[in-house]
Amino acid sequence: MTIEFSLSARQKSLKDMVGGFGRSIIRPQSLQWDLEHAVPEAFLARFVEMAQSMGGASASWGVQGLGAAADAGDVESSKIGDAPSKKKSSAMVTSCIGAEELAWSDAALLLCLPGPGLGGPPVRGSATPEQKERFFGPFKDMSKGLKWAAYGLTEPNAGSDVAGIRTSCRKDGRDWILNGRKCFITNGARASWTVIFATIDPTLGRAGHRAFVVEKGTPGFSVGRIEDKMGLRASETAELVLEDCRVPEANLLGGEERYQSKEGFLTAMKTFDNTRPLVAAMAIGIGRAAYDYACDFVKENYALARHTARYTSIAEKLARIGRRLEAARLLTWRAAFLADEGQPNAKEASMSKASAGQAAIAACIEAIEICGAEGSIAKDHQLLEKWFRDIKVYDIFEGTGQIQRIVISKRLFPDLKAF
Amino acid sequence: MIAFAPSDDHKLMMDAGQKLSKALAGRVRETEKGGGLPEDLASAARELGVGVVHLPEAVGGAGLGLVAGVLLEEEIAAGDPATAFALGGTGAYALAMSELASPELAQDAAATAGAVAFGEPRPHRDRPGLSTIATKKADAFVLHGEKAYVLGAGKAERFVVFAQVDESKGERGIGAFLVSRGDGVKATARVRTLGLDAASFSGLVLDGARGVLISDEPRAMVRFFAKHALLNAARCVGLARAAFDVTRAYVEQRRAFGKPVAHFQAVAFTVADRAMDVEASRALVWRAAWLWDAASDVEGENAALLASARAIAHAHETAMQTADDGVQLHGGAGFMRDYPVEKYMRDAKQLSLYGMPAACAEQLAAAIELGRAPDLALVLPFADSQSAFT
Repeated sequence: MTIEFSLSARQKSLKDMVGGFGRSIIRPQSLQWDLEHAVPEAFLARFVEMAQSMGGASASWGVQGLGAAADAGDVESSKIGDAPSKKKSSAMVTSCIGAEELAWSDAALLLCLPGPGLGGPPVRGSATPEQKERFFGPFKDMSKGLKWAAYGLTEPNAGSDVAGIRTSCRKDGRDWILNGRKCFITNGARASWTVIFATIDPTLGRAGHRAFVVEKGTPGFSVGRIEDKMGLRASETAELVLEDCRVPEANLLGGEERYQSKEGFLTAMKTFDNTRPLVAAMAIGIGRAAYDYACDFVKENYALARHTARYTSIAEKLARIGRRLEAARLLTWRAAFLADEGQPNAKEASMSKASAGQAAIAACIEAIEICGAEGSIAKDHQLLEKWFRDIKVYDIFEGTGQIQRIVISKRLFPDLKAF
Repeated sequence: MIAFAPSDDHKLMMDAGQKLSKALAGRVRETEKGGGLPEDLASAARELGVGVVHLPEAVGGAGLGLVAGVLLEEEIAAGDPATAFALGGTGAYALAMSELASPELAQDAAATAGAVAFGEPRPHRDRPGLSTIATKKADAFVLHGEKAYVLGAGKAERFVVFAQVDESKGERGIGAFLVSRGDGVKATARVRTLGLDAASFSGLVLDGARGVLISDEPRAMVRFFAKHALLNAARCVGLARAAFDVTRAYVEQRRAFGKPVAHFQAVAFTVADRAMDVEASRALVWRAAWLWDAASDVEGENAALLASARAIAHAHETAMQTADDGVQLHGGAGFMRDYPVEKYMRDAKQLSLYGMPAACAEQLAAAIELGRAPDLALVLPFADSQSAFT
């Protein structure tokens, strides 16, 4: 192996392409989408077409492409080392590079992209071959209509405390009957199916968990309210309601035998090891957008030749943001690199998420501070106030900063079972 | 590609480094009290190439590049952060000669007892630049002035001295000179320092010393100061790692209120935060070192310089914070010299003063990001010279 920090030709072209498209096409529409609470489907269709025309690279468009990347066995030859023929996967690192770049343009768009989304990883990790074919099949060709899937874990009374979910499931003949509410579900209303986590008995804790693929239109499965959010307003966040919802046993993820122990819970958790670096990469993209904006603003509006204390402190602020983002990016690439190498990365994934969320929030806050009141005004190409609203949730969803620290602590102190 | 895995060659070197590091850690107090490395440890460190593995073979280094250099510095500093300093100024001297001097002059730099004199007791009162003056006389320069905090000055035979050649040009009027011990060169008494007790710092009085101008090229001097400070940042990572390791172990065995103190969130989260800082600092240092090894033009060097500035600021902050938290989480025991963590805290502050302090590194990074050509004023480790806006 080696220590190296150069992007492959593919990564570079992906970064350039996403960045260029973002600058000229996405950014100018970003604020409008935010105000309209949606990205027009026509645009999404065009975007998907473009991504597909890029061939294998479509695999790398952030979260929505994560699964495809893993499935396609996205490989490239390692140019370093004494075994040039050795193939190494760099799918996760590439996805992180793509996700950062797209989030730099518009993070909500990334969340809106058609595809299995966060529903992908649990199906990929736990489904039977038959289920994979059935649930992923429809995504292979979206020329006749865009499709989404979703991930339903959070409930009104159980967010970070995943083990505390109350949505119930009980076997009835060859079906399962589900009851409960899921909230804050990204793309929940338009998803063709959603991975729903439920419990056979809350007293069993994690061992009682079951994961189901619940399809749109299933009797008893409905959409509740659509959330009105601080930021990421173009992304759809829905409540899902299950009332005596009858789900066929063929939709129990992985089949009955999979749930001998804590399998259901682990399905939920395994998703995070894969998605946290991607969420971190997105946060860095937003943070970098604010940082770039602040740098340009200072270059254009401040007389750099004037030596004043305030300018020196602005320089320090910029430098601090810049390096914290860079530090988080390296932690993110490292977590992704470990995933690509097939090594455990739970601690590193949490580190990337915790540091990226905070670094990016600081970047958005400081950028407004540096630009002054001008930075708080919403207008064309002036998106600081939007990024400020968009970024906050990155230290909350996919595990709050506090949860990440619990994950890290447990790995630093093996005897620590719970606080 | 993007990869975070040391090569097999790196690992061999790190394993050897780790062995020495353990020996160093076991004798930290002996080294400290003796004011220098015991001879067996010093020769083991020299044999391993501490301070010179990264230097080109032409100056007597191993030619392994800066990535190898920072890997080894971290390992050794994790044992005792004072080691590289206790070996004297030879590493810095050889680095200065290899970056600044002609190949002929630099030839045996790594084998020479040398020191680098850049600091001064105080800023010049009336103008930017150094107070030590170099005046051209016939075939050479004559130097007058006072340098401070010179590592290993007492034993050095050769010095690289930074002095003002043109007083009207501020930092742009600085040159680097090769000075030999002898007439007009006097090392003052060793000073007592807050930390890094094993290192010998002293002043240097130049009174008509003969100097050979080795470089007045700002770009070369920027390279030297940046690499010099980056190697120091690698030591900060080693120090932070050591402080982190002893603290993690301590809070796991220390019990209060019926359980290990590590099982309280206030303690565990602090440790988790420092774990992130240490990992991030290491990655930043690796990347900066890799960029220097890969740099082949001005653009590449600027990227390396920006990455170095970030790595330096982050590593210094991390070392100080990790050691500070380390003492804190040891409670009263942390204040006692029975535990090494108080030494790490003192060393951390001392380390961050050597090379390029975090505040200077921040101004350098900002200057590059704002499109200013990185000039010497931003890289010189003097409090009065750095500002991204001048």
